[in-house]
Formats: sequence, structure tokens, C-alpha cells
Amino acid sequence: MSGRRVAALTRRLLQGFRRDRRTVALLFVAPLVILGLLGYLMRSSSVPAVGIANQDAGPIGAAVTSALERSSLISTSTISASDGDAKLKDGSLAAYIVFPSNFSQRAQSGVIAPQVHLEGSQPGSATPVLQALQQALASAASGAPGAVRFEPQVAYLYGGPDLDTLDYFGAAAIGLIVFFLVFVITIVSFLNERSQGTLERLMASPLRRGEIVLGYMVGFTLLALVQSVEVLVFCLAVLNVHNQGNVFLIFGIEALMAIVAVNLGIFLSMFARTEFQAVQFIPLVIVPQFLLSGILFPVSSEPKPLQVLSDVLPLTYAVNAMRDVMLKGADLTWPSLEIDVGVVAGVIVLLIVAGSATLRRRIA
Amino acid sequence: MERFMSETYAVEVDSVTKSFGQLRALDGVTLKVRQGEIYGLLGPNGAGKTTLIRAIVGLVAPGSGSVTVLGRRLPNLDVLRHVGYMTQQAALYPGLSVEENVKFFAAIYGVEGGVKEALEFVDLYNRRSSVVATISGGMKQRCSLACALVHRPQLLLLDEPTVGVDPQLRVQFWESFRRMAASGVTIIVSSHVMDEAERCQRLGLIQYGRLLAEGSPSEVRARAGTQNLEDAFLALAGEKES
Repeated sequence: MSGRRVAALTRRLLQGFRRDRRTVALLFVAPLVILGLLGYLMRSSSVPAVGIANQDAGPIGAAVTSALERSSLISTSTISASDGDAKLKDGSLAAYIVFPSNFSQRAQSGVIAPQVHLEGSQPGSATPVLQALQQALASAASGAPGAVRFEPQVAYLYGGPDLDTLDYFGAAAIGLIVFFLVFVITIVSFLNERSQGTLERLMASPLRRGEIVLGYMVGFTLLALVQSVEVLVFCLAVLNVHNQGNVFLIFGIEALMAIVAVNLGIFLSMFARTEFQAVQFIPLVIVPQFLLSGILFPVSSEPKPLQVLSDVLPLTYAVNAMRDVMLKGADLTWPSLEIDVGVVAGVIVLLIVAGSATLRRRIA
Repeated sequence: MERFMSETYAVEVDSVTKSFGQLRALDGVTLKVRQGEIYGLLGPNGAGKTTLIRAIVGLVAPGSGSVTVLGRRLPNLDVLRHVGYMTQQAALYPGLSVEENVKFFAAIYGVEGGVKEALEFVDLYNRRSSVVATISGGMKQRCSLACALVHRPQLLLLDEPTVGVDPQLRVQFWESFRRMAASGVTIIVSSHVMDEAERCQRLGLIQYGRLLAEGSPSEVRARAGTQNLEDAFLALAGEKES
């Protein structure tokens, strides 16, 4: 083995990077962006909002309420039990707890039975609510003379105790997988079109920029639709991911996500000169969307500045739509689903216009 | 396909400048190419030949000056239907066959047919099913040429078209270019090969983005007082620099 030859290779590699400042910048900026985002998200996320309706005439309801208010696992507010379901539906609460009028009476006879109502469609928000309640009940029961049984009556607005982690993440993952794979294929293919010189040839032909973008969009979308069917069938038939909605509606949302990915790939390829640079876009484009779109953490629990960012990411709306359909059984009469689908469709139009507008600039 | 009305000049380049950052790629170039003429752009690498061809095909917007092609001032998308462009790099889809590439460009220009003729013209009809990624560099150049002329353009821009083409085929190419020109097709060809320059009806010698001299090969030689074009080019380039 020759040290000089190895050194020549190493030197050649670093010399190449020295002239490719964009890649170097992405190489060092991307990890900071991703880790910074993750740190901010983890450390600054808010806890689930829980409403408490204390109808108990006795002291124990008040004692448990007071213990819940002190809990760091949840944030509490006082509500009327009749408003609870509406607040779960509009997303302002992750859960609400009702202490019925005979709560203290039953507690004295050895049974503590609060009513817990969980929204149920967001992963991970049920656990802190039940944990906080458990701690509050234990603290309230510590002064009780005899043995006490905890029998919380848990009701789910959507989903239920039978849903596992895959059911929660599966709905979001269907959209994410299609989005990710289609984006990567498109950005690299479109860049190839430029690097092999065929884009220059196309631009010297009577083809309009919009025609190039649309031609690409249709071609990749056809491929993406086949992939979407495959992903959907696999999730529903093989993995048995929970679904309460219309399969064609899920497919439609998947297809919209695929079209977003195609057009985002075309648009961003204008800002990369090499495939290497294009690949660097993946962590910068995909990872923040993965972290912020509500796949892992509910958007409502994110720090406020990140919620603003989440609100401009198309994946946020797609994930929300997928969960609405698959976990809540939503259809197109639901205003929230109409908004989600409308926003994703709007993003597609925006990206087509942006892709067409930047095409000439980068070829000239 | 509708053909544009006959114009005296197929291409008129008027005082065109183009800079890329500090580099002045075209520095006030003015030239006119007649219809049915084979016009050679001759100059060393980096002289500005490719930039000039890209300006004529609308891929480069001049900083100043104007370009008129087939009577239409650029930018004009419609005129591009009558222009064929062969890039220096054999710009083809490597995953498609030779025939599929030519058919694709025929479709882009909105023509049906002509694929067989184009492939025969470049002597690739027998290799039409070969995947482009598997053929030689010379064959790729030929396929690229077929793509440029499949729609029977009125103006054909060829950026160093015979790089990697064997001498026998190169002779055939030039024979065909002459036939095309005789039928009214205007051909602008860039080259730094002096032997090819001799085959052009008129030449433009270009260096540092400026047109040093223009005329038939014999006129250029006479003006420089030399026996061959290579010496003429060197003499004229030296004259301008001094």
C-alpha cells in the first residue's frame, strides 16, 4: 500500500469540496438545522391540554383537581362536561376528565372512578394524561383510611384501546413514504436531465417551460400512483393498519402528496448543480417536515414559533388529512378535511408556477 | 409543417454582447448568415463559439444587441420549431434506445415520420434498437445529430458535430450537409478543425468573443496572405492582438 497514493486520493477529494462551497455549506449546516430543530422541539414542546369538569360535591374531586393542576405532565383548564366533546373535536383539548357528583361518596366506599375522555387520534398524548391522573389519584387517596381501588372509566372519541403504535403512525407514514421516495427520484432525475445536456436541448425546442414541468409531473405522478397503491394495500391488507375511512379518499390524499413531492423535486433541482447537492436537500427538506408535521408530536404541543413553521409545510396538512380519514372516519363533508386537501392542492399549483418560473433562469 | 417565409438572411446577429461575471464571452459580435448557406464558426476552445450558438438558439439572452432568426427577433418560441440544435455534448437519454431518442425529439417538435430517414442519414438505422448507454461515443454523436434534424429544420446549429466521428463518416456527414444546404437549409457549424472549415461556404473567425474576420475560406486566406486557414487564423488573431 502506498501512502502517497492514498494521500493523493484524499487530497483530490478535499480539493473537490473546496470548489463546491454549496455542498460544504449544506454538509455543515444541515446537521445543525436538524439537531437544533429536534432539541427545540423536545425541550420546548408543551404538554397535552386537559379539561377538568369537577361535579363532585365532596372534597376528593377538589383534591384530585388540585393535584392535577400541579402536575407537570399536563396543562389543565376548568370546563363544563357538556363542552368536553366539542373541545376534543376542535383540537383545543387532548382529553377531559369528569369527576361525577358521587365521586367522593364512591371514593369513601373504596372505589375511585373518574371519567376520562381522550381525543385518541394523536399518538403519545393519552399516556401523560393517564399518568398524571394516576399520580393525582394516588396523592389524593394517600390520606384515605382503607384500601382504595382505582377504576377510571376511559372513553375514546376516536380510536380506542385496541389501537397500537402502528395504527397511529401508519396513517401518517403512508403519506410520508410516498412523499419522501417520489421527492428523491424526481430531484435526481430532473438534475440528470440538466447534467446530461438534454434539458438544454429541450429548452432550445418549442417546448414551453410549463410543458416541461407538466410532462415531468404527469410521468412521475403515474409512477407515484402505482407506488401509492402498493403502499396502501400493504399497510391495510398486510400490516392491518386501523382504517375507518374511505380507501379511495386515502388514495386521493396520497396522490396529492406524490404530486407535491414531484413538483417540489423539480423546483428544488433548480438550486442544485450536482446530484451530490441535490441529495443534501433531503435532510433539509424531509427531516424538518418529518419532525414538524405532527407525525411524531401533535402540532398543538410544538413551541409556538415551530407551529407557525408547521402551518406552512404541506406534509402537516397531508398527515392531518390522513389521520382524519383513517382514525376518525372523516369524509369530504368535514370542513377540516376540505381545508387540508385544499391547502395541499394549492401548494401543488404554487410549486408548478415556481418550477416553471425558475426553469429558464437556471438553464441560461 | 408550415415553413417560414423566405428571408434573405436566416440569421442576423447585431452587436451582441454577453458576459458571465467578469468574463466577456461575446464582445459586440455582428454577423449575417444567408439562407441555404453553410457558415462555419472557427476559433479555439473558449473563443465564444458555443455562447454565440446558444444565443442564436435563444438559450442565452444577450446583454445587449439583438438576434434575428428566420425573420423573427428573439426571444421567439415559435421560430424554434424550425431550428435544429446539436449540442457539443451528445445530449441523449442513456436509458432509451437510439430510435426512442429520435422519436422523442420528433414528438417534441410535433412531427410524425422522418425517424427512419434521420437514422439512415447518420447510418444508425441498423443499430436503432441499441440502448444509448451501450453505444460508442461516435455513435452517440450520430444519434444526437439525428435528433437535431429529425424535424427537418430550416436552420441547423451544430456545435462541433464531428467530434468522435470516424473520418469516413465525417466525409459522409459533410456530403449530407451540402445536400441539405442545397435544398435551402441553413447550417451554422462550429469547429476548431481547419479541414472542416475549408468545407464551409463562409467562415467567421472568432476569438475572445470577437469576430476577427469573415468571408469564404479563400477570402480569409487571401486577407491574411497565407496558404492555409490555420496560418490565416493565427495571423489574423495576432493582428488583432497587436
